[in-house]
Amino acid sequence: MGKDGSSFFFTTMLEETAKWAQKNSLWPMTFGTSCCGIEMMSTISSTYDLARFGAEVVRFSPRQADLLIVAGTITTKMAPVLRTIYDQMLEPKWVIAMGACSSSGGIFDTYSVLQGIDEIMPVDVYVPGCPPIPEGLIHAILHLQKQIDKSLERKPAEKPTFEDSQNAMSYRKSVDGVKANFIITPEYVNEQKNLRGEK
Amino acid sequence: MKTSSVSPNAKYLATQMALTEYLKTQFGTGRKIELDNFEEVIVWAKDPADAKRCVKDFMTDKNIQMDFLSDLTAYDNKDGEDGDKRFVLVYQLFSRTFHTRIRLKCLLDENESALTIVDLFAGANWLEREVYDMFGIDFKGHPNLRRIMMDERFTGHPLRKEYPMKQREPFKDNIRLHLGANEDK
Repeated sequence: MGKDGSSFFFTTMLEETAKWAQKNSLWPMTFGTSCCGIEMMSTISSTYDLARFGAEVVRFSPRQADLLIVAGTITTKMAPVLRTIYDQMLEPKWVIAMGACSSSGGIFDTYSVLQGIDEIMPVDVYVPGCPPIPEGLIHAILHLQKQIDKSLERKPAEKPTFEDSQNAMSYRKSVDGVKANFIITPEYVNEQKNLRGEK
Repeated sequence: MKTSSVSPNAKYLATQMALTEYLKTQFGTGRKIELDNFEEVIVWAKDPADAKRCVKDFMTDKNIQMDFLSDLTAYDNKDGEDGDKRFVLVYQLFSRTFHTRIRLKCLLDENESALTIVDLFAGANWLEREVYDMFGIDFKGHPNLRRIMMDERFTGHPLRKEYPMKQREPFKDNIRLHLGANEDK
């Protein structure tokens, strides 16, 4: 109790307790679309045993989960589905982008693949690798636990507009005025090399 | 382990070469017949209608019995290496009886439409939809010719050479799952 009668002590303790409970019982909703999904299964099963860190209860329903692990390539056709799943999850919720494809599109810089899931939703932790080893995912979850503990600032869960999602594509950002017909030409490669100071 | 004097590969080659000879005598008139690096036979049909006739004949002919459609695809012949027309349609046929293969090719212009073979091989349905999606080749008589891989609102055909490789078209939502033509359009 404070001197003025406010109950800050109790509320602080409650927040701390809630944080402690949240970080030690992350229930993952798994979204494995390619080879990263195999590593994720390996992480959850007995050899690596994610249960040691309180994240073993895999929910295949977004309503019951509070951690979304996106493991694999997300195509532009799959993106609205993934966004719907994210919207269906209840707050508080966190997102891990596992692997190169879900972080940045990976090697698939083509007409059909989303260049990173951060175009359509906020991401808390990125895991590099193609695919990352199970220790990588465990490290990401431990890192996320630290983030929850420290109440680090999170990006608000807002749906980007269509223009936002288009502008988020890296190659469009780098070239002004070129909207839909961007093709890599020798001139463009030389220009980029000059910008970077290469010869 | 049982050993035989003729290796399986040599036996396969022998049947394949016998098939080539048979095709040259029976189907050689007006059609170009050639071999690839693996001694597998390529038959060039005269036009789309002839391609369908060939598929039907290969299927019903008692001596070759091409009763299995391995694949149906196409490629962009923009450089004109294989002929003066824009696309090449490829049918990969396999005989489950003789274990032989035929590759049937057919040149197609950009505005020309191919004939569907769904009435001969039901499995050609999705393959033809894929070719339509990726190359924009129209199949006359197909029961449900719409995009199979890309979104139905997508414009352009990604595997054509002139399509910019990185041109993406994100959509906010998905089209409702439906069979047949899209009524919402």
